Amino acid sequence: MAAIAHDHAHDDHGALHHQFENIEQQNDSYIVGMWTFLVTEVMFFGALFFIYTLYRSMYQMDWYLAHEELDVTLGGVNTVILLISSWTVAMAVRFAQLKNRKMVILNLVVTLGCAFMFLVIKAFEYAAKFEHHLLPGPTFGSVPSHLNGANSNYAQLFYGLYFGMTGLHAVHILVGILVISALTYLWIRKADSVMKDYIPTELVGLYWHFVDLVWIFLFPLMYLMPKPH
Amino acid sequence: MSAIPVDKQVADLPSGQPAETNYINEFGGLKSWLLTGDHKRIAMLYLISVTFFFFLGSVAAALIRWELTAPAGVVMESDTYNKVFSSHGVLMVFTFLVVAIPAVFGNFFLPIMIGARDMAFPRLNLLSWYLYIGGGILILLGMINGGVDGGWTFYTPYSSMYSNSNVTLVLTGIFIVGFSSITTGINFIVTTHKMRAPGMTWFRLPLFVWANYATAVVIMLGTPVVAITLLLVVFERAFKLPIFNPELGGDPVLFQHLFWFYSHPAVYIMILPAFGIISELISNFARKRVFGYHFIAFSTLAIAGLGFLVWGHHMFISSQSMYQGIVFSLISFLVAVPSAIKVFNWTATLYKANIRLQSPMLYALGFIGLFTVGGLTGLFLGSMGTDVHLTATYFVVAHFHYVMVGGTMSAFLGGLHYWWPKMTGRLYPESIAKVNALIVFLGFNLTFFPQFIVGWLGMPRRYHYYYLAPEYQVYHVMSTLGSSFLGLGFILPAFYLTKSLINGRKASANPWGAHGLEWEIPSPPPTTNFLQIPIVLDEVYDFDPVTEYELDRAQQALEGHHYDGMMDQDDESAHRVEQGEK
Amino acid sequence: MATTPLSSKTHGAGGHDDHSSHISSSGLLFVILVLLMVLMLVTIWASYIDLPSIGPIPGIVVNNLVALAIATFKATLVIWFFMGVRFASSLAKIWVAAGFLVLFLMFGIMGDYGTRKFEPVQGWEVGTPVDGGETALPRTWPPEGRTPGSPAIEQNLRPR
Repeated sequence: MAAIAHDHAHDDHGALHHQFENIEQQNDSYIVGMWTFLVTEVMFFGALFFIYTLYRSMYQMDWYLAHEELDVTLGGVNTVILLISSWTVAMAVRFAQLKNRKMVILNLVVTLGCAFMFLVIKAFEYAAKFEHHLLPGPTFGSVPSHLNGANSNYAQLFYGLYFGMTGLHAVHILVGILVISALTYLWIRKADSVMKDYIPTELVGLYWHFVDLVWIFLFPLMYLMPKPH
Repeated sequence: MSAIPVDKQVADLPSGQPAETNYINEFGGLKSWLLTGDHKRIAMLYLISVTFFFFLGSVAAALIRWELTAPAGVVMESDTYNKVFSSHGVLMVFTFLVVAIPAVFGNFFLPIMIGARDMAFPRLNLLSWYLYIGGGILILLGMINGGVDGGWTFYTPYSSMYSNSNVTLVLTGIFIVGFSSITTGINFIVTTHKMRAPGMTWFRLPLFVWANYATAVVIMLGTPVVAITLLLVVFERAFKLPIFNPELGGDPVLFQHLFWFYSHPAVYIMILPAFGIISELISNFARKRVFGYHFIAFSTLAIAGLGFLVWGHHMFISSQSMYQGIVFSLISFLVAVPSAIKVFNWTATLYKANIRLQSPMLYALGFIGLFTVGGLTGLFLGSMGTDVHLTATYFVVAHFHYVMVGGTMSAFLGGLHYWWPKMTGRLYPESIAKVNALIVFLGFNLTFFPQFIVGWLGMPRRYHYYYLAPEYQVYHVMSTLGSSFLGLGFILPAFYLTKSLINGRKASANPWGAHGLEWEIPSPPPTTNFLQIPIVLDEVYDFDPVTEYELDRAQQALEGHHYDGMMDQDDESAHRVEQGEK
Repeated sequence: MATTPLSSKTHGAGGHDDHSSHISSSGLLFVILVLLMVLMLVTIWASYIDLPSIGPIPGIVVNNLVALAIATFKATLVIWFFMGVRFASSLAKIWVAAGFLVLFLMFGIMGDYGTRKFEPVQGWEVGTPVDGGETALPRTWPPEGRTPGSPAIEQNLRPR
C-alpha cells in the first residue's frame, strides 16, 4: 500500500519492529516481501502451465476427448465459490484497515466456508475419477468408456497433469485454510498484532487472491477446451 | 566513507556497557544462538553448516580422484563410483555453492553495508537456515541410505523410472534447500530496497550489495522452476504421475529444459556474489576506487537477466532443435560480455594502484586469472560445433571447476580471510595465509588444467575406468596429485582460522585500512550494528590517491605491522624502519 | 504511480479515516466480483462456440486466445483491485510485472518443440511390443537380452 508520510496524531498502527525506522517502511517492506514470494509461486505454477501447454499442443484431440469427462458444472461452481471467497477476503482486508473487527471476522469465516466447500466439491470430483480408474497408475484406463475415445497413454498424461495441478492447488488451499483460521483466531482473541496492524490480514489476503488467480487460469484450461478439428 | 558520528571508538559506547559487548558475547547459551534473529549470528550458523557440507563434498571428490588414478579403477565398482560423483555434485552444488557466499557473507554484511540494523525479516532469515539444515539432513539421509547414482542432474527417465528409491529422499531434500534459498532471496531484495540508510543511494552501494541483490532476483525467478520440476520427478516415482514418461507420450527432454532453466541461472547465483567479493577485495587492496563502478553494477544486472536466456547450451546434443541451439549459442556468447567487462574493470583498477599483496588480495588476483580461463573455455563449449565434441568430456568438468572452484571458491576464501577479523574480532597469521593462497592456486591448476587436455583427447566424464585409453593415465595422476595440494589448501585455513579464534591477536575495527561501513564499526560488531544509523555523505570506495600515499608513509613510520608484507620500493629508509619495528 | 484520492465511502462503521493507506470501497469490490462472475460465464459460453478464423489464425486458435484473454483480464482485475496493486508502490508493481514476464520467457522452451519434429526413436514407439509383449521401454536395467554388444563387454573386459 502506498504510504504518504505524515504524523500520526495517535497510535493507530501495530508494533514497530526494531530493524525498521517507521511504520510506513515496515508496511511497505512486508507488502514487497509478500509480492516477492508470490512471484516465486507464479514461477512454481508457471512451469506446470508450461508443461500443460506443451502437451496439449502435441495431443490436442486426445486431450479434448479426455477432458470431456470433467464436470463443467462442478468446476464452474468451484470457480464461483473461489471468486466469492476472494471478494470476502478483500472485504476483510478493507474492514481490517477500518478496524471493524466484527466485519473482519464475518468475512474471514465466509472465506473459510467457501474454501471448505471448494475442497468438498473437489473431493467429490476426485472420488468419481478414482472410481472410474482415471488416476494414473497401473489400473488407468481399465474402464475405457470414461476415456471417451482418447488414446489411453495421452489421456494418462492429461490426468497426470490434471491431478498434479489441481492437487497442488488443493494443497495451497489447505495451507490457506490453516493460515486464515489462524488469522481468524487472532481476530477473535483481539490480539494486538492484528487489531492494530492491518498488514497481517493484508498479507493473508494476498496469498488467498493468488490461490484464486491460479484457479482462474486452471478452470478454462482444464475444463473448457474448445474442440479441435 | 565518512559519516556523522558513528561508533569509531569502542569507548563511545553508552556507559555501563563493557567495551567488548558484541553480537557473539551479548547473549549466551545455545538457545540464544538457535533462536536468534540477528543476521550476524545466522551467518555464522551458516558458516559452520556450509563448511560441514563442503567437507563431505570434498571427501567425495577425493574418492573420485583416487579412483581415477588407474585406468581400470582402484577401489570402486561402477555403481559405487556413480554414487560418489553424484554425491559430490549434489552436495557441492545444492548445499555449498548456491548457499555459501550469499548466506554467509551476504547475510552478515548486507545490512551493515547499507547502514541497517538487521535484515527486513529476521525470523524468515532464521527459518531459511533451518530449511537449509532440514533439506541437508534429508540429502544426507539419502546418501547414507545408499545414495543416488544418476549424477546431480537427475535426468529422466533414469531418475523417474529406473533409479533407486533414494532419489525421492534426495530430491525432497533439494526441494527444501531451494526454499531456504528463496527465503534468503526475499530478505535480500526487501532489505536492499527498503532499508538503506539516509544518503545511501543505489550508486553509493558497495558492489557486493549489487551482486547479492542481483543474485536474489535470480534466486526468486529461477528456483521455483527447479523446485516444481524435481517435485514432479518425485511424484512420478511415488504416485506414478506420468509427466516425463516417454512410454505415455511424455518427453524426457522436457525435464532437461525445465531443469536447466533454473540450473543455468543457478551458476550465476554461484558466481555473482563472488564477483561482488572480488570487487570489494580489488578496490580495497589496490587502495583505489574500482574502475567503472557503474559498468560493473549494470553488468551484474545484465548477467542476471541474460543468464535466463541461455539454458539450452547444456542441451546441444540432447535432440534439441538445431535452430534453437543456434539461438542459445549466440546468446551464450553475449552473456560472456558483461563478465568480460568486469574482468577488464578490475584489471584497470589495478593499473597504477597501490597494491597490497595481502592474502585476500592473492585470492582475488587468482580469481581473475582462473575465472578468465574458465570463462574463455566456456566459449568453446558455447559454440555448437565444438561442443558436439567436447560435451560430456572432462573439458566440461575442467571448465566448470575453473569457474566454480577457481572462481567462487577463491572468492569465498578471499572473503573469508578479508572479513574474518570483522566477523570474529581476531587476526589470523597472515604469512601462513599467503602461503595457503599459493598452495590453493598451484594445487588448483595442477588438478584441473590436465583435465582440459584429457577431455580434449576424449576422456568422457562420469566414467570411472578408461582402460581402453591408458594414455590418459598421466593426466589423471597429475590431476590427483594437484587435488592433494588443493585439499591441503582447503584444510589449512580450517586449522589456522580456528586457532585464531583461540589465541589470535585481537583485531581493531579496521585492520586492513579499508573503506566501507562495515569497517567503521567494532570487530566483532555489536548486535545492533550501529549505535546511530549513519548518514551517508561520501561516495563508495572513496580512496583519494594523495591521501592514500601520505597515510601510507605515515603508518609505515609508526606501526609497521599494519602493512604486513608491503614493500615500498621507493623509500629504503621507510623499509628499514618497518623492518626495525618488527 | 498515480495515487487515487480517497473514496468518499471509506467511513467504516465506528472507524475513522486511515490517511496512511488507501482503502477500496465496498461498492467497488462488489462491482469487481460481479464483473468476474460475468466474465466466467462468458468464458464458458465462448468455449462451446466454434469461433471463426481471423485471417491466417485458425478458429481453434482463436478460441484458445479468447479463453486466455478473458482469463488474463480476470487476473488483471483481481491483481489490480482485490490485491491492491493499484495502491501499491512502484516496486510491488515492478515485481508483479517481472514475475509474469519471466514466466513468459520460460515459454520460450516452445521454440525447441516448434522447430523440430517430435518423434519417438525408431523401434521405441509407444506400444511397440518387446520380448514380454508389454511396452517399448524396458522394465529393468540393464534390459535383459537387449544390451547392445560392445567388444569390451562381450570379451568380458569389465574391470570388476
